[in-house]
Amino acid sequence: MDDLLADFMAETRDMMEALGEEVVAWEADPSARDRLDSIFRFVHTVKGNCGFFDLPRLARLSHAAEDALAAVRAEERQADRRLVDAVLAVIDRIGEMIEAMEQGEELPDEGDELLIRALEDSGEEDDFAPDVPDALVAASTGPGRAGASRRSVRLPVALLDRVMSGVSDMVLARNELSHRLRDAGFETSLGEPFDRLSATLTDLRDAIARMRMHRIDHLFVSFSRLVRDLSAELGKQVMIDFQGGDVELDREIMEMIRDPLVHIIRNAIDHGIETPAERRAAGKREIGMLLVAARQSGNQIRIFISDDGRGIDTDRLVEKAIAAGVITPKAAARLQPAERNMLIFEPGLSTAREVTAVSGRGVGMDVVRANIEKIGGTLSVYSTPGSDTRVMINLPLTLSIVPALTVSAGGQRFAFPRSIVEEIILVGSNENDLVVAGGKTFVTVRGERIGCIDLGGALGLPETPIAAGRSAVLARLVGGDPFILAVDHVFDHQDLVVKPIAPVIMQTGLYVGTSQIDDGSTILMLDLPTIGQRAGLVRGIDHRNMRRTDEREAEVQVRTTPVLIFVGLDGVRRAIGMNVVSRVEAVATGAVHVDGAASQVVIDDMILPLAGISGSESLGETLDLFRLDDGQSQLAYAIRQVVDTAAFQGELTTCDGREDIAGIALIDGVPVEIIDNLALFARYARVVAPKRPPVCRMPASDRWLQDFMRPLVEKAGYQVIDETDEAEADVAIALVDDTGEPSLRAARAILLRTTPEPATTGEGSIYRYDRAAVLAALRAANAAACAVSDGRSVA
Amino acid sequence: MSELLVVAIIAGERVAFRAADIQSVIELETITPVPYVPDFVAGIAALRSRPLTVIDCSRSLELPEARGTRPPQARMAVVIEQDRDLYALLVDAIEDVVAAESEAASPQACLGAGWERAAVGMVETADSAVLLVDPAALIAGPAQVAATRTLAGSATIAVPGARGEHYQ
Repeated sequence: MDDLLADFMAETRDMMEALGEEVVAWEADPSARDRLDSIFRFVHTVKGNCGFFDLPRLARLSHAAEDALAAVRAEERQADRRLVDAVLAVIDRIGEMIEAMEQGEELPDEGDELLIRALEDSGEEDDFAPDVPDALVAASTGPGRAGASRRSVRLPVALLDRVMSGVSDMVLARNELSHRLRDAGFETSLGEPFDRLSATLTDLRDAIARMRMHRIDHLFVSFSRLVRDLSAELGKQVMIDFQGGDVELDREIMEMIRDPLVHIIRNAIDHGIETPAERRAAGKREIGMLLVAARQSGNQIRIFISDDGRGIDTDRLVEKAIAAGVITPKAAARLQPAERNMLIFEPGLSTAREVTAVSGRGVGMDVVRANIEKIGGTLSVYSTPGSDTRVMINLPLTLSIVPALTVSAGGQRFAFPRSIVEEIILVGSNENDLVVAGGKTFVTVRGERIGCIDLGGALGLPETPIAAGRSAVLARLVGGDPFILAVDHVFDHQDLVVKPIAPVIMQTGLYVGTSQIDDGSTILMLDLPTIGQRAGLVRGIDHRNMRRTDEREAEVQVRTTPVLIFVGLDGVRRAIGMNVVSRVEAVATGAVHVDGAASQVVIDDMILPLAGISGSESLGETLDLFRLDDGQSQLAYAIRQVVDTAAFQGELTTCDGREDIAGIALIDGVPVEIIDNLALFARYARVVAPKRPPVCRMPASDRWLQDFMRPLVEKAGYQVIDETDEAEADVAIALVDDTGEPSLRAARAILLRTTPEPATTGEGSIYRYDRAAVLAALRAANAAACAVSDGRSVA
Repeated sequence: MSELLVVAIIAGERVAFRAADIQSVIELETITPVPYVPDFVAGIAALRSRPLTVIDCSRSLELPEARGTRPPQARMAVVIEQDRDLYALLVDAIEDVVAAESEAASPQACLGAGWERAAVGMVETADSAVLLVDPAALIAGPAQVAATRTLAGSATIAVPGARGEHYQ
């Protein structure tokens, strides 16, 4: 009987959890028949079970709710706000009773009657009740019922752990057996069944690992209700949005982050999101947005909680932190903006001006941080005052299985979490050269010079000098400095079941735990951040005031040139210094004027000399080119395609007779011509300096000019200004009217007349729809302007 | 008084553990050394996939004759569970399981420093009197280590905002 009762309570709780979202959705749209049906099913089931278990109070409540909902289903009653609230209250009460029963106590018998009365039809027509369109009701009875039933069992996590460690033992036994079989030299019939056993065991192990996982949806559903209740209580309007509900998370972790998340959400609604009036005043939508998103990246789960409320008042926060003695004024002055925000997670601080029932008592956020960190997670908070607050939580995927890399150092085997390993490199190879400076060893990885230590030495084991040819692991902390650990061997990737170990070992800070690898031996899982920090390779948060710039300056600089590798129009692979390339562009072939070394291209109203083209190439519809800029002049370089970027250093093989090529270099084993920028600019950049576009002034008041003429003028490459602009104009365009000459300031003027034939004194004027004549006049004006800017003559 | 005692040899001396404290007696094959731990921690091993912290009893007791002389390859150990962690206490040999015939009584003479810390008292057995030792004291190791531990432990709690780097 007790077992049955326990099952009933568990089932009811599961149903309530699944119902959370339905209830909110139903409230938003009480006419939604399928939602109503699920809620009805819930109270109906509870009622049925109560009769069986002799739980009269639960039975009465659920019965009353069922009656009310049945009336709605029969369309005898409308689901008005009063009814919805009453039903929700009943559901809550059922939850409370179940919880009390599980604790073995009796919930005080008060309010039940009130709740039941609230459910009763008052008889009055509620004005706010939305009409239930018959069609909608009829349409939604069929589908929408699916997905309600899921086969599941509840298991204590401890049992799962036992199964898991049992399987781990089996794997070890299997490995041992495999060794013995090999040693005994059996070539018999044992092989095949053994392999089958092996494969099954591997499957089993995976399945067991998955048993601990749970969709994060299960956590999210309970938040809808929380947000609804809280916002109603505080007189705010909040919409909550969930993303990434299908991300799976270790059950244990899920339980441990439930309270922290609830707290962050409460805080967001209470302190972050403003009242509708305040939001209106601030020019925001009245409804505050709350986003809860989960994402898996590697063996990490990231959870974001963001709101578009008023943000964190960091000044007040710092003030309070100083007042509370959490931080000294001196230390406060040194804080980075992100660190100032983090103060909200310090004990005893709250920026709420008033203590509300929901939060603001200064307890909680510190507990949030403690809980997250307890399970190896981290959290950070960002805020833009006045517009948003974002909390980001990083969690390990599971507490027990860590994808790891095993290595050996100082003659011993170690493991560390794969998540921290960025790559495995070979020290001293071409791209990872080795430099010793200031008593420290540095290895270059893609142009970045990174500190390197011998892992064995760092652990106090026999040290091996760091030399070319050694394997090394490049580790990087998020937001932290990278560092390199030279090791003897890199073995392989393994998913390790990591277990904590005795305090005497953990307190060294060097280890995360231990694990057994496949051969049954015990291996230590290293805490790389601490190791990096102790070796002076990582500047941790406590060392921020020790940041020194001279440290980097002390390093020996090896000149590397970042280059862009491309294939020229002639099919030859070339490289050009990245620093002169201002951008890569595609132009229509029509804008290209090919004339050997005097080729030009029109880009952005500028005529640029075009290099890299001889005239014999066949061009497609568009031409790709680099825009090169030496700070003074610009030119274009035609290319077929961009290949890659590379850091080039080292020797150039000079090649004679090619003035635009500095030499040939080997990049990734392929010979590449390196373009001589100096020669290139000396040869091409003399023609035209980058020139401002010609300027045309036209009256802003004339609609016809602005609407009809301006596009044409702009297309001709002019910048159009009006009479209020003080800038010098190369040409002015105006309509001739009865008042005679326009008074627009410009070097030249183009006068347009409204009639095809010159009227009275319209000499020099152009008919305004004579497009060709207008363009010719504009070109003439441009030519004159160019002549002026070249300083040769003044027209 | 019929409490069972496991008699073992540590640094050539007979000592007794309460049989009730002992989970099992095992022979350790491989011990993985752990860098940067106090030297009385011989390393780690595993017992049916549970990690074992191996304690070198003579070093934990700071017995001078044990310095520099590692016990031979055969590693007998008694397994003790404390705070849900398993410890293997390395001994030279396991001698016997006997019934105690008296309460633990304070020894008449002053013991060596290490022994003083770990000894519960002298217990009479059918054979002869034997020193009953407290495994917790062996696990805790020499006094200064225990002191550093409490210090370090409290320091991490007291510093507000001390944030450890975690794996990202």
